[in-house]
Amino acid sequence: MVISFFIDCKTRTSNDFLFVRINVSNFIELENVNLYYSCLVYREMSIKSYVCKLMGLKPRPKTEDVHALKNVSLSIRPGDRVGLIGHNGAGKSTLLKTIASLYPITSGTVSVQGEVRALFELSLGFELEATGRENILYRGLLLGKSPKEMKTLQDEIVAFADLHEFIDYPIKTYSAGMMVRLAFAISTAVKGEILLLDEVIGAGDDNFMAKAKKRIHQLIDEAKIMVLTSHDLSAIRNLCNRAVVLNHGEIIFDGGVEEAIKVYKIEGDKQ
Amino acid sequence: MSWAILQPLALTLLFTFVLGRIFAVDMADYAPYVFSGIIVWEFIVSSANIGCHALLMADGYIKQCTHPLAIYSLRIVCVALINLLLAFAGFLVWVIIVKPENIGWTWLSLLFSFPIIILVVWPLAILTSFIGTRFRDFSQLIVIGMQAVWYVSPVFFQADMFRKAKIEFLVDYNPVYHLLNLIRMPTLHGQFPDLINIIFAVGTAGILWLLASLLIAKQERQMIFYL
Repeated sequence: MVISFFIDCKTRTSNDFLFVRINVSNFIELENVNLYYSCLVYREMSIKSYVCKLMGLKPRPKTEDVHALKNVSLSIRPGDRVGLIGHNGAGKSTLLKTIASLYPITSGTVSVQGEVRALFELSLGFELEATGRENILYRGLLLGKSPKEMKTLQDEIVAFADLHEFIDYPIKTYSAGMMVRLAFAISTAVKGEILLLDEVIGAGDDNFMAKAKKRIHQLIDEAKIMVLTSHDLSAIRNLCNRAVVLNHGEIIFDGGVEEAIKVYKIEGDKQ
Repeated sequence: MSWAILQPLALTLLFTFVLGRIFAVDMADYAPYVFSGIIVWEFIVSSANIGCHALLMADGYIKQCTHPLAIYSLRIVCVALINLLLAFAGFLVWVIIVKPENIGWTWLSLLFSFPIIILVVWPLAILTSFIGTRFRDFSQLIVIGMQAVWYVSPVFFQADMFRKAKIEFLVDYNPVYHLLNLIRMPTLHGQFPDLINIIFAVGTAGILWLLASLLIAKQERQMIFYL
């Protein structure tokens, strides 16, 4: 099943829509994307402070919207394994979440064709009171699978996560590592066409990491497109065939992995 | 499960004992009246109050998936609905025992009453979930607001008490009264709800859906920033 979604601000035409329908191959296409984080988020989070502001009481230092992505254009085609590199706050995760259509862009167009499988913060979206087995089902439903499909995947997930009898315990009794293992096992058991990975390669103990890396390699082989962010440059070298360097929300380099790493290092020395 | 019945039952006994004496009304009539009011009101108020946290509790899902945010409010409403249905089953048993003469075709109207009430409460929960996420102190405000509505609604006071006190506008223009009547008319009086009850209930649902759709259209995509 192919889910196609189309987010745009201004420039959608009927032709674009037609284009998406006819073209069956997967792609990610960003054109002049700008994204602002609203500064409201860290001011006036309560009615009280909002009213104070309206009445002109308690003047606060002016804060401006954060321009998190600046005029980003990016075209990713099948076979691309793209590594996003950049310093903290450069906009890597923001870009990834924009591709996943989680963030509303301020201007530009984002079009994504293909079933997206995103691995962001792994422990997100667990029901703490429910058992591991129930959570496998819930997360599967969240990913658009039927209970029957999840049942067939269940044993494999439990084996991979190495949880044994703990799978029938409530998630709240799990250690952080166990939770990560389970989340990783579920999210990678359900295949997708576009794989988005946010720093997940660095989670879990050594034993699990070796297993996880193997699994990610396998997933990357199956997925038609992969985009990952990582600070681990060796992971980028290992897994990617293209790299994009971000700096303060702008793409400053897009091309080969080795050159990208060079650019990234020069940028790091400047700061 | 039994708490879904016991909790409103205890409240009912309390209200009936005190208010029934104060207003000198027939306890056998008044007790089921109070009970029916409390269980439906509890459904409305817990959907609105807990609804404030619907998106905050679902942040793990919202940060990963692009599902319509209204489903997280529906989740809260469904939990409250299960409690309502359990308590309502208890209420029906009570009515069948003490007022068997009310059993009749009019009870079929309950099949429409519940969907209408849900269609009022769901958009209400959507509204509180969006506002409660944007303004974190909204949940305190809504608790106070809902409490105020409860005192001016015929939940445990009888509608006649309002009329006698010449404050009948609190009943006639109060959507809560009309919603409660959708349940009370068939069960307590063996009659179909009045047309005005249905008009008010459906109208309230329409207005709330309009407001909720406006808020969804304008704010749904921004909500992830507030989590």
